[in-house]
Amino acid sequence: MEHKNFEVMTGNKACAWGVKLSRVQVASIYPVTPQTTIGEYIAEFIAKGELNCELVNAEGELSTQAIVKAASRVGARTFVCTSGPGQLYMHHPMHGTSSGRLPVVMATVHRGNKGMQPDHTDLMSQLWTGWIQWYCENNQEVLDSVIMAYRTAEDKRVRLPIAIGYDGYILSYTSEPVEIPDQAMVDEFLPPYEPIPNILPDKWAEAQTRRGAGMMGDFMSGGADPQAAWRIHHEAILNSKGVIKEVNEEFGKRFGRKYGNGLVEEYRTDDAEAVIVAMGTIASTARVAIDRMRSEGKPVGLVKLKTFVPFPTEDFQELGKRTRAIGMIDRNVCLGLGGAGFGELRRALYDLEERPRILGFYAGLAGAEVRVRDIEKMAEKTLKAARGEKVEPIIEWAKLGGGE
Amino acid sequence: MIEIRLHGRGGQGAVTANEILAEAAYYEGKYAQAIPMYGTERRGAPVTAFLRLDEVRVRERDLVHNPDIVVVLDPAIAQRPSILEGLKAGGLVIANYPHPPERFPLGGNFRVTTVDATAIALETLKRPITNTAILGAFSKVTGLVKVESIEKAILHRFPGTLGEMNVKAVRMAFERTPAPIQAVGGVKEKDEEGPLSGSGYGLIRSAAGWRTFRPVWNYEKCTGCRICWIFCPDNAIGWGEERPTVDYRKCKGCGICVNECPTKAVEFKREEI
Repeated sequence: MEHKNFEVMTGNKACAWGVKLSRVQVASIYPVTPQTTIGEYIAEFIAKGELNCELVNAEGELSTQAIVKAASRVGARTFVCTSGPGQLYMHHPMHGTSSGRLPVVMATVHRGNKGMQPDHTDLMSQLWTGWIQWYCENNQEVLDSVIMAYRTAEDKRVRLPIAIGYDGYILSYTSEPVEIPDQAMVDEFLPPYEPIPNILPDKWAEAQTRRGAGMMGDFMSGGADPQAAWRIHHEAILNSKGVIKEVNEEFGKRFGRKYGNGLVEEYRTDDAEAVIVAMGTIASTARVAIDRMRSEGKPVGLVKLKTFVPFPTEDFQELGKRTRAIGMIDRNVCLGLGGAGFGELRRALYDLEERPRILGFYAGLAGAEVRVRDIEKMAEKTLKAARGEKVEPIIEWAKLGGGE
Repeated sequence: MIEIRLHGRGGQGAVTANEILAEAAYYEGKYAQAIPMYGTERRGAPVTAFLRLDEVRVRERDLVHNPDIVVVLDPAIAQRPSILEGLKAGGLVIANYPHPPERFPLGGNFRVTTVDATAIALETLKRPITNTAILGAFSKVTGLVKVESIEKAILHRFPGTLGEMNVKAVRMAFERTPAPIQAVGGVKEKDEEGPLSGSGYGLIRSAAGWRTFRPVWNYEKCTGCRICWIFCPDNAIGWGEERPTVDYRKCKGCGICVNECPTKAVEFKREEI
């Protein structure tokens, strides 16, 4: 491999390094814990003359998103980042960014919707905004994901914004060694951004604004289908899976690291009777739990779910054919509906002729600490289900901590 | 894997010490994970940080519950039995404490060493920021990280005079730290008085332990101008018969009264442990 340049850094610094190496031209940031230091690091890079970027201080997240949306439209590579309440405040313009098919990259440093501690409810609250969503498990993945996100988002077959989620505090302020890729190699991997002037024909925009559009005799909209903008946007996200995989492969070839197939990463799933699915830092801790259980001869495995939108339906269908039970760990809850991962997993596997059993676990909400033995318990229960034993309840709020 | 827990107060640099240690360990080829525990920190409030050192990438993302080593940056916190929570049997405590390890107040199945890091910090940095000094002690008694690596990490983070001053603190602590002994203990923790009244304190019973220095009034110089009473941010200064009175449970030792007094009637004296 090429020369290795490591530095011990926090997740937020790793994120800022990703921004710097991607040669971002416009960033707009409003401070909110635990995301704030990303903006500080970017400002430092700019002040030292290491990054040629316009950093726009706005009065809130509604504006930061609107600023990067406009800057992206006129041809700048843009970055925005936020956490928890800021993410919620940003909701409205996020629709505009994705509808305009603008390749903005955003870092969401998770902070739950209740209180200050991390869970995935902030980004999960944005599931309907039409953004691609990635979740990271360590600081290296944060840095690498930023670079991969620009390459994916700006691909002419994709043209969609990407949100990169990583757990606040657990990664944002935790320091560990991170390899800083070589700038020349990043430049080779990530060519300059080429804007497309107008991705959606005007007639669709017109069709969406007037009642009765698309009906016979509506000459003003030229008979355009008012649903088309939704359908095309939805299909564009579904169709991005191939590019996400391709970019991940190429990143792997060039930099010597890749993240599963870009959508999911399977860990010791060969001959696994039961598999647990985890996202973000829980996936990291889960690797230790799986190793421990394997050493005791228990056939369990892990699937790390990196890309949540678009959901890796095909990967899970393939997994569902060779495993007997899947336990989904959700660090989120859509109140009154349930865990987002659990719902999607069941949606994905419902049409299989022989479905595995699917269990749900809520863990790590509001920053609740998820320890190795907590995950072991969840995997034990999933293994029981795989072996046909009765397990109840099917969906549970994991009891975390407590005695050994 | 070696797991370490650091205790300190906001402003002493526990989080920075943790990161410097992680970087120093990394220079020696170890993998390090430095975790600060964040809430709503204030200068003087107790803080905790955690460090994992291993030969391979650390994948655990929970906090450290059973440390091999506990490092305490503050002499008042060092007296609290809670610092021993979860410490492995036969574990090690490295404390900033002004007396030799034989006089360390806590006892049990662990080894302990002490160094007066506050005195070293005051001598070298002129401020009671004890984080770098304690690292000198850490290097000496654990041997896990060479003192040269700690110095390199400090100079990387703080280039120039500030770094040099901190390196001096590290070396001084390295020289002054005795070998650890089996903890003897037996000295009772000072009982704190009842809960504090007044808003803004939450559940804190007393802020007295936050002080490194205590403001003391010389009433002969005091003109009764009430400036200290006006400026005290914690309402710790009251007013008696034409002279200020202090509730030392509320006083965090911020020194604003010392700074504001026009007749220099308020003096700062180091708290005795």
